[in-house]
Amino acid sequence: MSLNAVSTRLPPWLIKKIHRNEVSLGTKEILKSLDLNTVCESARCPNMWECFSKRRATFMILGNICTRNCAFCSVKKGLPSHVKKSEPSNITEAVGRLNLKHVVITSVTRDDLKDGGASQFARTVYELKKEYSDVVVEVLTPDFRGNADCIKIVAESGPDIFNHNIETVNKLYKRVRPQADYYRSLNLLKFIKDNYPAIYTKSGLMVGLGENRDELEAALDDLITHSCDILTIGQYLSPSRTNIPVAEYVHPDEFKRLEKVAFEKGFLYVMSGPFVRSSYNADQVFNKKCDKEEV
Amino acid sequence: MVEVVVPDLGEDVEKAKISFWHYEEGDKVEKNDDVVELTTDKATFNIPAPESGIITELCVEEGEEVEVGEVIAFIDEENEELELSSEDEEEEDTNF
Repeated sequence: MSLNAVSTRLPPWLIKKIHRNEVSLGTKEILKSLDLNTVCESARCPNMWECFSKRRATFMILGNICTRNCAFCSVKKGLPSHVKKSEPSNITEAVGRLNLKHVVITSVTRDDLKDGGASQFARTVYELKKEYSDVVVEVLTPDFRGNADCIKIVAESGPDIFNHNIETVNKLYKRVRPQADYYRSLNLLKFIKDNYPAIYTKSGLMVGLGENRDELEAALDDLITHSCDILTIGQYLSPSRTNIPVAEYVHPDEFKRLEKVAFEKGFLYVMSGPFVRSSYNADQVFNKKCDKEEV
Repeated sequence: MVEVVVPDLGEDVEKAKISFWHYEEGDKVEKNDDVVELTTDKATFNIPAPESGIITELCVEEGEEVEVGEVIAFIDEENEELELSSEDEEEEDTNF
């Protein structure tokens, strides 16, 4: 056993085992063969191999180039690619081949498109529900610049869960999400619940960006007052040296405390932990929420 | 001989740093035991042994950068089998 650990190592609770095996490689191959993008790969998610080994993936539609410049994200920025007509049917095929029971569809932000990509979301949801009516469909959308018509297009396509991440506390928006707006994101969640009460609302927060406890709890309160049902909280990890640096590696005990606080505030379900991501184990999150509702 | 390879660690991630070897050359590893810890700009990963065997070569020093797809260690599965079979024989001997 060597004693020369390198100083750049992260705290022990942030070391992720790679699950590179026949199953995970098979998942990767299916996605590649259908020319599908995943946020798992584009965001360099540390959970990628784990999820692929469980035959899970989060589909990222509308290309892999984003029109926004969020400081926390590694998805490529620039001139986006054209919208692929085959994407909805390819996702449907992948869902069948991977035998997914819970599908998460996200996208890059497409401020260049008139509808922000809403109709591509809708086509994908329609096609999935038509082929697999029992599959739970979760959309994880951009803010559509607060355009209610675009949000309606997605909501009326029939997703079970409408997920939109506020990502961080109000104070850090200018630095972390310069082209977004804290209240616009919150209002999107409230708009969904007010107009489509049968759809579950979900949001996610990253911690370790420089927020303090009071600011975090204020964000939890804001999410509750804006009708958010389900919450995920995870550690921010800087994808590259050009992204915003990590301000703090939050201890797992603090994640547990936050989870307890959030439950007390009234969320239907909360998942909080260093490696929790917006769509990480999304099926388990949803099923546990259902169990809780039954109780 | 089985290769330990630097896996794909996400889009446009071409390099990683060897932060820690969990074993030395000559050590015996079981399949799925963590062999090496790799660090990218974003995260730290433990890479498990693809098969059980004896580590015959660690190709890179701690602190060095490696490329995705690069072979960083070799594990001798046959050596493992030989060891097991000699252990079996010893067991048989004691039975007699």
